[in-house]
Amino acid sequence: MKVILSLTLTFLICSSGYGQFKRKSNNSLPKPRPTQQTKFLEKQWWLGFKAGTNLAQAKPIQSYTVMVPTNYAGELNLKSYDSFLKTGSQAALEATFYYKGLSFSVQPTYRHTRFTYFNQFRWYNAENSAETLELRYDQEQKLDYADFPFFIKYDILRDKLRPYVQVGISYSLLINANKAVSIKGTDYASGGTNQFSNETLIVGAKDLFENYWGLAAGVGLDYNLGNVRIVLEGSYWKGMSNITNTKNRFGNDRLAGIGDAQDDMKLNNIVISAGVLFPMRFLSSNFKTLDR
Amino acid sequence: MRYLFIFGLLLLAACSNESDPAADKASFTRIYDNNKFNATYYPIDIKQTPDGGYLILGGRRLTNSNFSGIYLLKVDELGGFIAETEVADELVAPIGPLLVANDGYYFFCMTNVGLQTQLVKLDADGTIDGQFNVAGNYPAAAAQDGSNFLLLSYDNQDKESVVSVVTPTGSVSSSKSFSIGAGDAVEEPIINHYLRTGRQLPFLVGRMPGGVFYFNGFYNYTLSLAFTNLAADEPQGIVQGQQDDGGLSQVVPLEGGKFALARFNFGDNYFLPTATLNSSGISASTDLGGNSMPELTPNATVKILRTTINARKVVLYASNTRSKQIALVGYDESTGSLIGSKYLGFSNPFEVASLTPTTDGGLAVCGTTYVAGRFARICIFKLSAQELTEAFKGF
Repeated sequence: MKVILSLTLTFLICSSGYGQFKRKSNNSLPKPRPTQQTKFLEKQWWLGFKAGTNLAQAKPIQSYTVMVPTNYAGELNLKSYDSFLKTGSQAALEATFYYKGLSFSVQPTYRHTRFTYFNQFRWYNAENSAETLELRYDQEQKLDYADFPFFIKYDILRDKLRPYVQVGISYSLLINANKAVSIKGTDYASGGTNQFSNETLIVGAKDLFENYWGLAAGVGLDYNLGNVRIVLEGSYWKGMSNITNTKNRFGNDRLAGIGDAQDDMKLNNIVISAGVLFPMRFLSSNFKTLDR
Repeated sequence: MRYLFIFGLLLLAACSNESDPAADKASFTRIYDNNKFNATYYPIDIKQTPDGGYLILGGRRLTNSNFSGIYLLKVDELGGFIAETEVADELVAPIGPLLVANDGYYFFCMTNVGLQTQLVKLDADGTIDGQFNVAGNYPAAAAQDGSNFLLLSYDNQDKESVVSVVTPTGSVSSSKSFSIGAGDAVEEPIINHYLRTGRQLPFLVGRMPGGVFYFNGFYNYTLSLAFTNLAADEPQGIVQGQQDDGGLSQVVPLEGGKFALARFNFGDNYFLPTATLNSSGISASTDLGGNSMPELTPNATVKILRTTINARKVVLYASNTRSKQIALVGYDESTGSLIGSKYLGFSNPFEVASLTPTTDGGLAVCGTTYVAGRFARICIFKLSAQELTEAFKGF
């Protein structure tokens, strides 16, 4: 079902772009005869780079745990994930083909993204409140991906300042992953209120994750400055498949030993980038595009 | 159209990583936690039940007895909790393994008052389905013998090690007793074993295929492996230890009269994957040699499982390391050559209790972990057939 839905979405994205061509060609209003410059400006190749920051949200599909409660509710130990709190970073190359207001863009990206979650445990003696131990496990997940997004952009205005909207699809290849676990606790049983924290455990966690794919939508602003184009854009990248390696969720003994198992989850990102694009087609040998 | 085709391929490839119930069953780690500060649980044996789940026989700390109470845990094929039973403290000191007969599971224990040996029957859900008085007291070790059970127990009145054949209804069909020697000194480690205030001694009982019986217990002041036909007053063969400081820590008969052994000697540990024992004379365990295992805890608990990994007959040793992990060491059964090792657990201490093959070709390892470094709880490592193949593929 998901495959059918995804293919349908892809078809709609492509057909919406095709629809733009149709409307242009079917316009019945009299048009001025295009000049050579106008015809030239109907097409352009842009090449550039951009970089920025991103915020991540891990959305659990199904929760897994090593610690199985036998005499209390499992909800007491459930992981609590943050949402768009931790900043990451990304850098991308962009190659865009512009044609009559529509742009088709591939943007291979290196993305470093972070999210956190925590869970808590409590052991106590109902007959002696001093015999209590509380532990909190804070886990920070750092993931590095090579993203391969394909965007279709539509320029709302075609002046020097060119706001646009874009939709796209992306495939993300996992490059690296690691996890930092810090344990803090309060021990009431050792003669006082003993608050302690253990040294942060940092482990490589690449085996726990997989490649995934997602859809994206966003808005942006191009500003033609001289012969180059300045870009500022924001996008929402929605993960569409599980990022967890389901065969290895218990595979890391260090993490399993402290009771952590990787949930099935999807990864969403808010991606904000700024960059610069350079035109690849010129009217004359002195690199003037007339698009200014 | 070309883009559409490429995207379709991408999407099909990407959609392949959704939740995977088969993988979830094949490999998992579980720790069964109880939030009572003073609760202590430890496993004794694990068996896979016909529903794919697991039945665990365990012990628990009692506040009103010096002996351990009985704890039963039933989990599903994913390791999810189904039910637990804290058996009333009239019954104490359970021993493994879980024995199978008449579509039921059995284990030996004893009464808290009177110390009378009991045989308890369970169904596959871990519910007690019967209880039978068995002659004798202080059950020490048990084993399956066809449709009957073998029992090694300690007679504290006559100070004897007793080997019995017990039917599933608790009747003793044959039995033989062997003196541990006079005096209290030799009894002290035995009682400390039962009270769990001292070292857990490697009591064992078993039978050579179709042949004589053997037990690893105290005989003539020494923890020894003794062979008996349950008729003669003296054992036919003895592999002597060094009082309770040396001896055999695990014995599993192989084909051709060979044994897979583990032995200890004043803290040192040795694995002998294909050893020959003198079952009709007197010998010493120290003469057996073996592969030195300095990574193990002194006088380590050792479990041995005969199993098949990737179509190869394997003798799998499980024991506890000084680094508080569970070590699995595999040997080719026919040659005795090392084929691999795998270590389970990290961060918190882990100790092995039992291991059992699973119907999917994998392995379930049951042990004790100390959650937060202090609370003894039962854990299961379920390893897939693929994980076993990778770990024990040979060199």
